[in-house]
Amino acid sequence: MSYAGYVMAAYAVFAAVLLWDFVAPRIRIAQVLRAVRLLARRDTARARSAAQELKR
Amino acid sequence: MSNMNPVVRWFHQLGSPPYFDRFAARWAPWAFGLGLLTMAVGAYLGLFVVPADYQQGDSFRILYIHVPSAWMSMAMFALMALYGAVALIWRIKLCEILAMACAPIGAAFTVITLATGSIWGKPMWGTWWDWDPRLTSQLVLLFLYFGVIGLYAAIEDRRAAARAASLLAIVGVVMLPIIRYSVVWWNSLHQGQTIRVFGESSMDASMLPPLLWMVVGTKFWAIGSLLVRARADNLQREAGKDWVRRVAGVPR
Repeated sequence: MSYAGYVMAAYAVFAAVLLWDFVAPRIRIAQVLRAVRLLARRDTARARSAAQELKR
Repeated sequence: MSNMNPVVRWFHQLGSPPYFDRFAARWAPWAFGLGLLTMAVGAYLGLFVVPADYQQGDSFRILYIHVPSAWMSMAMFALMALYGAVALIWRIKLCEILAMACAPIGAAFTVITLATGSIWGKPMWGTWWDWDPRLTSQLVLLFLYFGVIGLYAAIEDRRAAARAASLLAIVGVVMLPIIRYSVVWWNSLHQGQTIRVFGESSMDASMLPPLLWMVVGTKFWAIGSLLVRARADNLQREAGKDWVRRVAGVPR
């Protein structure tokens, strides 16, 4: 009466779903922070080019 | 503020987005770590220490992930509705965020419940699925979670979206007693209540410890996940603010 295949499949589903639950919000945080950094870099570049325009 | 009760003051502070970000970033790894450790002990006991069931053989070991996940699927829905109600009544932004963070976690536990139940059902019932009251009501719970997640994503204004989705969560609470009593009210293929918080369980005492470890472990895990998911939403909502630029490491 060994149902090892079924038991392993069930525990694998459990582990896979929890892994997704662990990774998904971290990816989202990384994306948000990356977007903030890119926006800041664009703002800095824009401010710098505006300052050069004024100098000319 | 100085005369305020320290607990009340802490709750006020927690409502501040930068304070919550620091709080979540600090405590989420602890909750995940404790959850992982506790679940590892539970899984080890459940898979290798507890003897096989005399009727079900080793397949009963699936219970140690199925039952805690089923309880979490319902607990997360109740928590989501509670946060949703607080968010609707007192318009607390953090409660909106926490309510919406509950939805994917609850949905994940519902998926585990349905999948592991199905895997157990194949050798024991001879079928992967049956339109049984317990199984069907649990499937409806998953659709309700999808409804809350979808509604929150569909409306552009984050606060209006959270309020609409919170209302759906509150209405959806009606499913919880239906799931709980489905095995009593209708002629169900699913077994009745085996484990009782109050009173004697019909499960043998020697089989209980792994279940308790897993129940505690899934709770810790859910706390960690709730903090990280709420942190992600909080950061996204506040993306234009100075404190988020600091968290992102943008030089001043």
